[in-house]
Amino acid sequence: MPAVTTESSPAPSTMGIAEKAGLQYEVEQFLYGEAALLDDRKFREWLALVADDMHYWMPIRRTVDRDNLDLEFTKLGGAAYFDDDKSDLSMRIAKLEAGSAWSENPPSRTRHFVSNVRIVDMEGDEIAVELAFHLYRSRLNGKVDNWIGKRQDRLRRVGDGFQLCRRHIFLDHTIIRSTNLSNLF
Amino acid sequence: MLETRGLDGSIDEDMISALIDGEQGTIDRRIYSDPEIYKLELQRIFARAWNFMCHESQIPNPGDYFINYIGEDQVIVVRDENGTVQVLLNTCRHRGNALCRAEQGNAKSFVCSYHGWNYGLDGTLLNVPGETHFYRDRIDKAAWSLVKAAQVDHYKGFYFATLDPSAPSLHDYLGEVGRIGMETMTAQGEVVAVDGVQKNVIDCNWKIAVDNLFDWYHVRISHGSAAKAGFVNLRMMMPMEQMVMLGEYGHAIGGPMLSEAHQAEIDKLSDGERAEINALSDEERAKWSPRIGERRPLRPKAAAEAMGPVGVRATGHPNIFPNSWISTRAMQISLRLPKGPFETEVWWFTFMPKKYSEAERRAAMKFIRLSFGPAGLLEQDDGENWSQSTHASQGVVGQTYPHNLQMGLGQDEVLEDPSGQKRIETHVNEHAQRWTYKCWAEWLRAKDWDELKKTRSPSPTGRI
Repeated sequence: MPAVTTESSPAPSTMGIAEKAGLQYEVEQFLYGEAALLDDRKFREWLALVADDMHYWMPIRRTVDRDNLDLEFTKLGGAAYFDDDKSDLSMRIAKLEAGSAWSENPPSRTRHFVSNVRIVDMEGDEIAVELAFHLYRSRLNGKVDNWIGKRQDRLRRVGDGFQLCRRHIFLDHTIIRSTNLSNLF
Repeated sequence: MLETRGLDGSIDEDMISALIDGEQGTIDRRIYSDPEIYKLELQRIFARAWNFMCHESQIPNPGDYFINYIGEDQVIVVRDENGTVQVLLNTCRHRGNALCRAEQGNAKSFVCSYHGWNYGLDGTLLNVPGETHFYRDRIDKAAWSLVKAAQVDHYKGFYFATLDPSAPSLHDYLGEVGRIGMETMTAQGEVVAVDGVQKNVIDCNWKIAVDNLFDWYHVRISHGSAAKAGFVNLRMMMPMEQMVMLGEYGHAIGGPMLSEAHQAEIDKLSDGERAEINALSDEERAKWSPRIGERRPLRPKAAAEAMGPVGVRATGHPNIFPNSWISTRAMQISLRLPKGPFETEVWWFTFMPKKYSEAERRAAMKFIRLSFGPAGLLEQDDGENWSQSTHASQGVVGQTYPHNLQMGLGQDEVLEDPSGQKRIETHVNEHAQRWTYKCWAEWLRAKDWDELKKTRSPSPTGRI
């Protein structure tokens, strides 16, 4: 994981505050927009924002002592809850669309909250973003799940907008307290 | 609450027997919700049985530890300074505080965060703060070491522990069927654990989650969406020919099989040819032989020898009684850990053969990730079914109607191979579930291991 920066943005120092604010606005609007697509169950439209080289990853987090913090998250290649490429995500969405995906039929009601959005790196046409998320899910009549954590997203500028080329999800939970993870983060 | 005890507080054996009706193929739903039954399960099943702890490769160095459970008793599985694997109850002998709060790690010793009692990696109480001033040297430290599992042993690197000193050896406990189950994990050679155990909580009774692992009836319905999405081919995943092996103490293997004819085809192949076929894509394999076209790797000759002529043809799901599902195709062990009658933690351990190439490993990992765990395209849809089944067992009227486990009842035959290995060859069925519940009742009825050894049913023969 990249080191924590206290800078509001590591954008080139040649960028003025107005330009930085404009970029921040663009990034946030993109993130809010794709969150809304997921909450509105427009999964195909969401998938259209995903780059062909997408990496969607949620490692396992563990309770460890201070001396063993290197073990807190499983590494790339280790076990993970998600370690998907675009075709895997596309399969997840095809499953959601099948009437017999019982974990999502009746469909869950979700709300993706995104905050603390920081642009942490810029390289070529890619922008690395770190943010805090809260995914709320209400299912059936009485089941509620909350997932909270940090996301490291990578946006790629394409034309007038962005594509999502990386989403690494770090939960603030160890044992998953929900029956399944049938929603997209 | 179900009254399982007579007036003198002893277990009412007739009441337990009445819960499971093997002749009718029905079970009383209260076994999923009754707190008294649950307490008995912890005492008479989990505290007696050999429970899977972890694989040796998860704790390779002295001080490496991994936290697991025996029933609801938390244990530290740790490699001590001599390299011996110790299984210690994770509770300080002074005020009972947990010594280890992490899920895994490396420690030099275990120091209690309450008053500082310090235990060695083998559980020995090394140091008590204030031994001279406060205890005035009047504490017998040797008598206050951590509680150790009564027996710890491993099967080819897979560690198990029991809290009961009178339990049979792990070898005898597993019996032939349990050992075949374990052999499926090492069929492709020595394995190493993949870092990370998936863990999630399902609000269901642990037995519903165990029942499901033998259930090839639900696949087409529960997991139809994974097929529609193109992840699995149900015809290949769920062939009609099924084999069930039933072992003493409740171990069982149930699911698809290779017919004798197909095994004969495989027997003609060298290990090298088998490895080549294993490396093919599903489509290519299907061309080679439609029956072996699915993703289970062909087992090499050594595995065939270790598993026996029948065992090697069993490609279904073994369960090491009570709650360790061996997912043979995926090379994973899934524990269904009881957390009260209405809650189960599902854990997934993953293992990879050491000899796997990077490409083979990547393909296997992808299949595993997309199949199982809470985000698995297959497993996603199981949890709510189990949850609703469990919760319906609380309905005061609903719970008076038993579950139906009649599929195949009395319609099959246990076949015995000249080698002595027994199995049922049939269609999708509920033999393994009926066997599991029958043995479950035997465990609950027996007051100790000696009685269980005397009263447990032998592996069935004849009409079943």
